[in-house]
Amino acid sequence: WPEARGRPSCSDGGAWGRRRREREAQEAQEARRPRARTTMGSRYDSRTTVFSPEGRLFQVEYALLAIEQAGACVGVLAKDGVVIAAEKKTTSKLLAPPKTSEKLYMIDDHVACAVAGLTSDANVLISYLRRVAHNYKLQYQEPQPLEQLIQRVCDLKQGYTQFGGQRPFGVSFLYAGWDRHYGFQLYQSNPSGNYGGWKATAIGPNNQAASSLLKKEYKDECSIEEALKLSVKVLNKTMDSVTPTPDNMEFSVLRMNEETKKLVQHKMSNEEVQALLDELKQEEEEEKAREEAKAAK
Amino acid sequence: SGPSDSSSGEGSRARRAVERPGRHKQQGGRRRGAMSILEYNGSALVAMTGKNCVAIASDTRFGAQQLTIGTNMKRVFKMNDKTLLGLSGLASDVMTVSQKLRLQTDMYKLQEEREMKPSVFNNMLSSFLYARRFGPYFVEPLVAGLEGPENKPFIAGQDLLGASVFTDDFVVCGTSEQELFGTCESFYKPNLGPDELFETIAQCMLAAVDRDCLAGWGGVVHILTPTKYIVKELKGRHD
Repeated sequence: WPEARGRPSCSDGGAWGRRRREREAQEAQEARRPRARTTMGSRYDSRTTVFSPEGRLFQVEYALLAIEQAGACVGVLAKDGVVIAAEKKTTSKLLAPPKTSEKLYMIDDHVACAVAGLTSDANVLISYLRRVAHNYKLQYQEPQPLEQLIQRVCDLKQGYTQFGGQRPFGVSFLYAGWDRHYGFQLYQSNPSGNYGGWKATAIGPNNQAASSLLKKEYKDECSIEEALKLSVKVLNKTMDSVTPTPDNMEFSVLRMNEETKKLVQHKMSNEEVQALLDELKQEEEEEKAREEAKAAK
Repeated sequence: SGPSDSSSGEGSRARRAVERPGRHKQQGGRRRGAMSILEYNGSALVAMTGKNCVAIASDTRFGAQQLTIGTNMKRVFKMNDKTLLGLSGLASDVMTVSQKLRLQTDMYKLQEEREMKPSVFNNMLSSFLYARRFGPYFVEPLVAGLEGPENKPFIAGQDLLGASVFTDDFVVCGTSEQELFGTCESFYKPNLGPDELFETIAQCMLAAVDRDCLAGWGGVVHILTPTKYIVKELKGRHD
């Protein structure tokens, strides 16, 4: 205890004693100050390692709020592949065009992921994911099963919600991958360290609206083309900008090449994205024309 | 020169006070031939440069001293589209080193979003081997590749501690090193096209391993050009 450790020769207990007295004085002062009532948190939100009286972990919830500020991501599982799409938030025209994507990353030959949230936090986790996946491949000479990899990174994220006193990672991920046990899979993970397997899901801003649209329109065992169309439609709805362009959307498709029987991760080029957008626009116009014709009758 | 049953084996030898003169040291009745750990499995590798192409040839024997166990041993590995790695020496370390280096090249590609150049790969391999200076991997590698946007042919060889040697014609390693030096010096010509390079390197390999009991039992040639990667199997003497 500080009293014991303080130098006995000093009358006031040395540096330890001084610090303890300062802390006590500050706490007494704070107790006297009228505390402003906040909508949530107040005394239970500054540390990750405490529950609130309602049983909430506020730091985790605040991390989820941080992700609402980032670009949205949508993932759709098809019968023969997985599609993940991301909205690129262009912050400034002055920003040099990035050589690498800020949203879509490859982890290994059989896993890709989309990021929503703090890019710096994402970079740390992506390095970790890559190391884990490659070390598994070195040891077992086969690609790591997807769920195992996600469990590893989620265990890491959970640690930051229980001990250490460090804030959680402010990133949610969508993982698209394939393994020989369960075929093509789509997963989502968030700062709490929870993860789930999905047929179609969205993360980031407006993800509730995106999820409800996906629930309505998703068909089981759809093809990759249908999955692409659905993800374009959903991403359009969640994006703020009025006219969607290939510059602020990215698509990555994971599929098995028929001839070589090898997994291929294909990031769609601007022309391919434009073609998708044109197709979507055409369908919307046709739909509108049909509605008008029906209303006119 | 002595019965190979257990009565004159290791146990009874320990009891004998004096070794009978003129008698070779025996272990289970068979004379230990190659002493070096690098010669335990047997291998032969050669890398050559051509005009805008490189090739690595290797034998495919996998043996335990004089006993041949396998005839399909893989010693040449494609690390990326521009780099080939050939490893001679202890088979276990050949597998381990190639797998660990594959991890490094894959991680490099993900992090830097470009492929590792052959000269960079060579340096990485050198550091990797020297890191085990006092307990080394028993391999002697060859690196061959096409360097840079002009696809300049690059070859290098190293010893087990990572000391590199750079040449512009050919590098050899393995138990048939001396024989390969001889055949390559005689047959090599600069600026050969991919097909001629294949012929040359194949003849060098086959002629050399016929003089080495620890290498041979088939061969394979990997040819790397800016547009193609070709693997051809060689038919040689199976003995």
